[in-house]
Amino acid sequence: MSIEVRHITKRFDGFAALKNVSLKVPAGELVALLGPSGSGKTTLLRVIAGLEVPDEGTVLFDAQDATARSARDRRVGFVFQHYALFRHMTVFENVAFGLRVKPRRERPSRAQIAKRVHELLALVQLERLAERYPSQLSGGQRQRVALARALAVQPKVLLLDEPFGALDAKVRQELRRWLRRLHDEIGITSVFVTHDQDEALEVADRVVILHEGCVEQEGSPEEVYEHPATPFVYRFLGNVNLFHGRIEGSKVHLREFSADAPADLGQEAIPAVAYARPHLLDIDHQPPSGRPHFRATIAHINAAGAVVKIELTTDSGAIVNVELPHERYRQLQLRKGAVVFVTVKDMKVFTQAQSTLGGGI
Amino acid sequence: MRESRLSEPPAVRRFLIAVAVLFLALFLLMPLAAVFTEALRKGVGAYLAALWEPDARAAIRLTLLTAAIAVPLNVVFGLVAAWAIGKFDFPGKHLLITLIDLPFSVSPVVSGLIYVLLFGLQGWFGPWLAAHHVKIIFAVPGIILATIFVTVPFVARELIPLMQAQGTEDEEAARVLGAGGWQMFWRVTLPNVKWGLLYGVMLCNARAMGEFGAVSVVSGHIRGQTTTLPLHIEILYNEYHAAAAFAVASLLACLALVTLAAKTLVEWKTSQSLREPAHEH
Repeated sequence: MSIEVRHITKRFDGFAALKNVSLKVPAGELVALLGPSGSGKTTLLRVIAGLEVPDEGTVLFDAQDATARSARDRRVGFVFQHYALFRHMTVFENVAFGLRVKPRRERPSRAQIAKRVHELLALVQLERLAERYPSQLSGGQRQRVALARALAVQPKVLLLDEPFGALDAKVRQELRRWLRRLHDEIGITSVFVTHDQDEALEVADRVVILHEGCVEQEGSPEEVYEHPATPFVYRFLGNVNLFHGRIEGSKVHLREFSADAPADLGQEAIPAVAYARPHLLDIDHQPPSGRPHFRATIAHINAAGAVVKIELTTDSGAIVNVELPHERYRQLQLRKGAVVFVTVKDMKVFTQAQSTLGGGI
Repeated sequence: MRESRLSEPPAVRRFLIAVAVLFLALFLLMPLAAVFTEALRKGVGAYLAALWEPDARAAIRLTLLTAAIAVPLNVVFGLVAAWAIGKFDFPGKHLLITLIDLPFSVSPVVSGLIYVLLFGLQGWFGPWLAAHHVKIIFAVPGIILATIFVTVPFVARELIPLMQAQGTEDEEAARVLGAGGWQMFWRVTLPNVKWGLLYGVMLCNARAMGEFGAVSVVSGHIRGQTTTLPLHIEILYNEYHAAAAFAVASLLACLALVTLAAKTLVEWKTSQSLREPAHEH
């Protein structure tokens, strides 16, 4: 089932959590709503589920207006951030709940319920724990019970609120791969909320980035990562170095260096900010010819990890972060305190107007 | 028990425990023992006779009737109030919480007087009630009203913090899974608060049966008709039937002991359902 929201606005005590948000989720896709806390992503998920009533706008399921339908009638599966398992029920009873509360004429027989619950518990690999209570389970197990419970009523849509938020890093990794596989297996339209960009980029087919109640950008993980539409998206999707300056003619003049301006930014002198990810910077002992570069002093080196993280101070006192492959690092034989040249392999220039407006769609 | 680095030397610990135990023995156990000794001083026959005489039986019946009406009403009110306060935000919420506490902060005698002022012959509704031959003050309805007033906070106070702490996620989950309002209440909300509710009911019941001040004001002390157990005890005692008074008092003491035992059981159950750590990952 496809989901569409049109011009949704939601206010809480005068604070606008969502401002005129529109979004389409095609049937069968796994979409991430990504944003910092307070960006409105959970509110949007709850509006789709029918747990919040929007002040304005419509929610459509399969192009049918569902705005007036209650949460009970929307037939969505919802996985809560803190699972919201019924603590006085066993795992089995939790999963069976949605089947047991159906109106009598739709309710499956006891045997059918038992069969369905065991199928679901097998799907989430928890068959052995059917008689346990939620308090006897680990976080990851609870999460999977919550998922099985949501799937029991055969929802047309699966909504997950920070599904891995309360788990430790290792379990998170496992579970998100498992969720991706599960989605590919059962092919249910799914939307999950997260504040973790790695999670969104790794798991989702499409990522929707929210900021202060507005959609900043949406697209495939590659699209949003490689072509961020606004400075906010660029900053939010990974570590970043900022260079301030202005555009004049066909050149960008930044405090540290100058480079060719992207042609589409006009010919007048306008304030601009350039963004470059740490792995798009390189270090050399000699000033390289042909590439924009600037001089800096190595302030700190962290060689533990997949890449070597180097912190440098520019002549004007700004801090720049560079990530180098270990091979390159060994070849350069860098030392703390050494004066080197930082080369900019790639960067993205936004005018000041774009950054203050946040881009906006 | 975990040993704390900050724990006191053994001598100090033993001293503190001894003081606590001695205090309890002096002020709680001794009077309790005295009640039973005094009650049985004239023998088991006299003890049973004191409980079996018609006025005592009438007092027991009235006390049970009062509790049977006041407790269920307070359960309903307590659940409704706690639900409203715990699960929604609305203007006047804090005022409602304060109002629920009112009976705790007002002397029971004053609570009783309020009803006399409202429903007594000279009270606001007195003439109207008299004209329609409805008797509230110095009659059973007055006793029940006063008891309800005094016991209002018990169930609600127990449930409000519990429901506030539990929030609304469980209910939302039930909703999304297709549960209707009543299904949600019976299958999710009520089981979540059942131990707290039971605790509140026990305290409410103990107070309903034991209330003296408010009931004394509205009762009129008509023997065999408007005397509850505590009032009956007072009458007996004032008439120098000490053994009989203590015999009836021992009934209330037993109620207290049963409540205490049940309370301990409920608390143990509650902690039991919260314990049991995770085993597998």
